[in-house]
This record gives sequence, C-alpha cells and structure tokens, in this order.
Amino acid sequence: MHMLNAIRPKNRTIIAYLAIPVVMFVFTVFVPLVTALVYSFFEWKGGPVKTFNGLSNYIQLFQDGTFWEAFGHNIYLVIACIIGQVGIAFVLVMMVNSKLVFCKTIHRTFGFFPSTIAAVCIGLIWNMIYHNKYGILNWFLEAIGRKDLCQVWLNNSDIVMLLVTIPLIWQYIGYYMVIILSAIASISTDIFESSEIDGANGFQKAVYITLPLIKNTMLVCITLCIAGNMKAFDNIYVMTKGGPGTSSMVMAMYGYQVSFGQSNMGYGSCISVGIFVLSLLVIGGSQMLINYVTREKEAA
Amino acid sequence: MNKRQALSAVLATAMVASLGVTASAATPVAATELAYTGELELMHYSTLEESQGNGGSDGFRTVLAAWQEAHPDITLNENVLANAEYKTQIQTLASANDLPDVFLLQGMNTKAWAEQGLIMDLTDTIAASPYYADYNQAYFTPFKTADGKIYGYPVLTGGTCTVVIYDKAMWKDAGFDAFPATWADVETAAAYFGEQGIDTIAFGNGGQWQANSDFLSTLGNRYTGPEWFQSLIDKAGAKFTDEAFVKALTEMQRLFTQTTIFNEDFNAVTNEDAREYYISGDAAAFIGGNWDWSYIYATLKESDPDKFANMGIAVLPQPADADKAPNSQNIGLGYAVAFNSNLAEDPDKLAAAIDLAQEITGPAFASYVAENYALGGLTKVADVDLSAFDQQTVDFYNWSYVDTETCEIYDSYINSAVWSILNTDMQSMMNGELDPATVAANAQAAYEENY
Repeated sequence: MHMLNAIRPKNRTIIAYLAIPVVMFVFTVFVPLVTALVYSFFEWKGGPVKTFNGLSNYIQLFQDGTFWEAFGHNIYLVIACIIGQVGIAFVLVMMVNSKLVFCKTIHRTFGFFPSTIAAVCIGLIWNMIYHNKYGILNWFLEAIGRKDLCQVWLNNSDIVMLLVTIPLIWQYIGYYMVIILSAIASISTDIFESSEIDGANGFQKAVYITLPLIKNTMLVCITLCIAGNMKAFDNIYVMTKGGPGTSSMVMAMYGYQVSFGQSNMGYGSCISVGIFVLSLLVIGGSQMLINYVTREKEAA
Repeated sequence: MNKRQALSAVLATAMVASLGVTASAATPVAATELAYTGELELMHYSTLEESQGNGGSDGFRTVLAAWQEAHPDITLNENVLANAEYKTQIQTLASANDLPDVFLLQGMNTKAWAEQGLIMDLTDTIAASPYYADYNQAYFTPFKTADGKIYGYPVLTGGTCTVVIYDKAMWKDAGFDAFPATWADVETAAAYFGEQGIDTIAFGNGGQWQANSDFLSTLGNRYTGPEWFQSLIDKAGAKFTDEAFVKALTEMQRLFTQTTIFNEDFNAVTNEDAREYYISGDAAAFIGGNWDWSYIYATLKESDPDKFANMGIAVLPQPADADKAPNSQNIGLGYAVAFNSNLAEDPDKLAAAIDLAQEITGPAFASYVAENYALGGLTKVADVDLSAFDQQTVDFYNWSYVDTETCEIYDSYINSAVWSILNTDMQSMMNGELDPATVAANAQAAYEENY
C-alpha cells in the first residue's frame, strides 16, 4: 500500500491526463448533440440566417413518410443483423470450438478479416457481385441453367434491402465471433467435461451451458449490433445511395441528404435528433425485452 | 554514385525538366499592379487528377499558376477538393458563414446565398471588366437574381450536358446513315440491336442526378420551350405540374419502362459504368455530358482507333408528341467565381480578387482551352484555329457551339432541395413505380416550399 502511494501521481496530474480525453469526448459528442438539438428548432437553409420556428421541424418529421420508411428499413437491418451477425457468429463459434475442427486460429483470423475492411470497399466488392452484366451472381445462375432468375439486383425495390443487408452481415460475423469466443474461453472446461460425462451432445451443451453462461456478452453483442445498424450509412451509400427511389433509404442517409443535398440544416438537425431518440428507444426497449424474457426463465 | 544516388539524380533532372515545360507552357496573364500583399483564400475543384484530360481544369490550373507567378507578393491559400467533396464542403462553409475569399459558386445556390448576404454583388465590377465586351452574356444567367444583379464570373468551359455519342458503323449496319432524329426510329433500331444482344443506348442513373442533367433538362425543353423554364426561375407562374412538363415526364417514363432501348441496369449503374458499355461495344450509343465525351474520346483514341474513327455525336432524338426545339441541347457554365461579401472590407484585397477572377475567366484562359482543347469559356476568342485538331474534336466543337440550338441546364438554377426530391422520385418513375403526375406534384410542392 505504501509502495503504491509512493508511485501514485498527484491528483492534479491524474485529473490533467484524464481531462484530455474527456474534453475531446465532450467536444466531439456532447457539443454536436446539443448544437443539433438547438438547430433543430430553427429554419436554417444553408446560410448564416436561422429563423426560430419552434416545433414545426418536429411536426414535419412526424408527418414525413420518407423518414418513417427509412426508420422501418433501419429496424429491418437491426433484426436481420441480430439474427445474421450475432446468430450466425454464435453457431460458427460452436463449430470452431468443436473438437473435430482443425486449424482453429486460421478460422478465427479469416473470419475476422472482413470486419477490418472499410465499409466503402465492402460496398464496392458487393456491387461487383450483384452487377447484372459482369457480376458473379448472375454468372453463377447462368452456369446452373437458371438464366430466368438473372436480374438487375440492386434495381429491384422489393429485395434491395435484403441485398444491402447481406454484405453487412457478412462483414461483421467475424467481429462478433471474436467477442463470443473470448467469452467462451472464460468458461471453465470442467463444466463441459462433466456435461460430456453426463452424455450432453453439442447442441445441448450450446443451449444449456454456453448460452446461459455468456448471457451478458450476448447482450453486449446485441446492443452493439442495434447501435451499429441504427446508424448504418456507408455501404448503402456506395451500393444504392438509398435507391431505387427511397427503397433502401436509411435514417442517417436521409439526414445527410436533407442536410447537404437539400441544404436544409435545420430539418437535417431535427432528423439527427430523431435518430438519436429512436436509437435510444430501440436499444432501451430491446434490453428491457431481453431482461424480461430471461427473468421469466430463471423464475421458472 | 550508388544506385540510389543515380536514381535521385535522374528524378531531379526529370523534375527540373518538367518545371521547365510547365513554365514555358504557362499562359501570359495581364500583369496588373496590385497594392495587396498577403494571403488570399481560394477554394476550387480543379484537382491535378481532374486536370489530366479535362481541358477546363487544366486551363484553370495553368492560368492560376501564371497569375501566381505574376503576383509573387500575394500568397494564394488554395483548398482544392474533388467536385463531390467540394459541393458538400462549400455548403457547410456557407452554413457556418465561413466562406473563403474566392470560391466557385454553383448556379442553383446564387439566389439563396445572395439573399443571405453571403456573396458579393459583382454587377458593376463585371461591367467594368476590361474583357466585358468579349463576355458571352448568356453564361451569366444562372448567376443573376431576379433584380438583375450578377454574383459571379462564369468559370471553366461551357460544355453540353446531353449529347448522344454513337458508333457510326454499328448504326449503319442497323440501317441508319446517321443517328435517328426521332425516338420512333430509335425504337426500330432497338429491335435490330436486341437481336444482336446489344443495348441500343447505354445510360447510367445510379447517382440519381444523371436523369435530370443528362436527359430531362433537354427532353423537357422539347415539350415546354425555354419560356416555361424561365418563368419557373422568375417565379412568374409556370409550374412543374403544367401539362407540357408532365408530358415530358410521361415520355421519359415510356422510354425507360416500355421500350428496350436502354440497358436494363440504367438505374443501378453510374454514367461512368454506362460509358464503358459503349466503349466495349456492348451498347451502340451512349447518352451523357461533355465530361463523358472527353473520357470516351481519350479512351478510344488510345485503345481502339477503328471505333474512335466511327465516333459520332447527335442531339437527343425528338419525341413524337413534342413540338419544340428538336435541335436543342443543354449547355452552360455551371459554376462562377464568386467572392465572400466580407471582402468589401479590404479594398486592396478585393482588387486582387477581382483581378484573379478576371484572369481565370478572361482571354488567357479562353485562348489556352481553345488552342489546346477546342473548348470555349466565358470570354469569346476570335477565329479559333481548329486545323490542328482531329475530326472528332472539330465536330464536337461545332456541334457544341455552332450547329445546335441551346437550352438551359435545369439544375444550374432554382434550388438543390427541389432537384434532390425530383431526382429521387424520377428514379422510381423510371422503374415504373411512381406515376409522372405524382412526381410533378412532389416537385411542385418542394418548389413552393423552398424557392
């Protein structure tokens, strides 16, 4: 104890060091949030002139069909990615952890690879896959004799959301794999061994042992997944720019389009506040839901 | 001398040589005496990459370098961004009331920024310019407000936004000696090209702006005539919901949904992708702007001399139910050199900015782009000698500036909010998912709310 105190810097020094990241955080997160909130009460169409217009931006937001369509697309992304990213990652982790799999490190490394690539590049790669003339997807369909299924993929407004979600899922599976793997590594091997002696199979081990023991990590994964998908922007921007029409428009892209494409900063700020509030609601709601569901199980 | 030293010696020599070339190629600018010394901020989008092959950018950079050389006491503080980034950043700076001293103003921002006092009224300054008599007055229109005040010197080169580029040999095989003047004939040709597995015309609207700038702006003029759009600019009664404009949208929808003229992925690929279909022979023609022409010209010249020799150009075909201006194409200068209104506080600095604006849009620039690229800008040049150019360049020069009727580029005017909404809707309309009347009504609502 005495030793620790001897090398412990003065409180002043600790505060000074901590102040640097805190100030940066305040300026890059809180200040923009507060200023966006302030601007959202103004009519501000790309110039220094701002006119206070009370709640009219918010009234417009509630009646804006495109915004709510975009919100729906974000929810679609969230659900698809929880199932696709976290779900598939869990299944893959179970497979990689199995005794039958060789070269586990290689699986881990290559699984993680896509999440290190910039989303813009991922968008471009998948643009090439979907390309109707030169893309591998149409080429494959033609090769197996199903030319009738070939189409201009990204121009089909019925499935375009699914098509822009697939690259997102593919990109982040490895990311969640690493998180889940590290959580599983902390489970004592004794538990698995004794369950094996009791005759548990792989599926039973996954559902009745692993999943309950890494519940908190799964919660973190789901929260990260929701937060990430509520602000989805870059790969969709590269692939479709929200099109055709508004078929793949997400909230962040709509905010960008209104702010910079239509130079309507006031309403753009209002959209940003809307995204913030809706994201909090969705994250909070999902956590309450998960807590509720798991509590029921424990009680039972 | 080891390897590395040898290499650096070679590189140094090459650098000196290239400097010599640049210096000798520099165009003389008027050496006006300027009282101002110090920094002058300039923001533009003629990047080094852009200037390779693009005459306007090359001319801009060359004259700028010459001006800088003529005025060594002034430090040009340049911020050069690619066009897409430039548009976003200048918009942000305008919102923050932090525009640079000198920058390029997009036509459609003129009215809003002038109203907010962001940009300087240059009407008298322009009238006092030593080159005023040679200015092509029509180019000022996008930078004028309703009361006749002018806010910028139109800059870079005037180029068409809608040109049909076609392969003469392929169309001859289809039975056409020249590109058809009507869409009906193009549809006939489409039947022939369809049998060959070739797209008749390649078009790319993946960015959503192409259908407006490179198609509707000219097609609309064929139905409405120029008075309608002028009235829309002046807020003198014309509406997007007017019958003639809705007819233009209807024809546009018909062409893209009910005929087989265009590549089926027109809404998913950009103009950059679509022009590759033409270059590779997957399409018999292409519709785009002068920048696409420059790219196709440069690419074919290098890679495919036969196809290069067969390169033809034409105006957009005339629809059967349109009765106006069949020989028209939309051309203009989309940007102008404009000043931050705060510049008025420092008369010496203002004088330097005015001199800079007059030179980069003046005869030095015009002669450079005429002699090197057969292009024209704000200032007219007498007797452009075209004898040194190949046939394609001469044809394109005459087509752009002499032989065709001109009309306005829609999105040089009005307001970005209106075009953003129209462009998004049009993409759905071209997929057959939104009807022309709704598209027009939404555009009209955005126009009434924002302009």
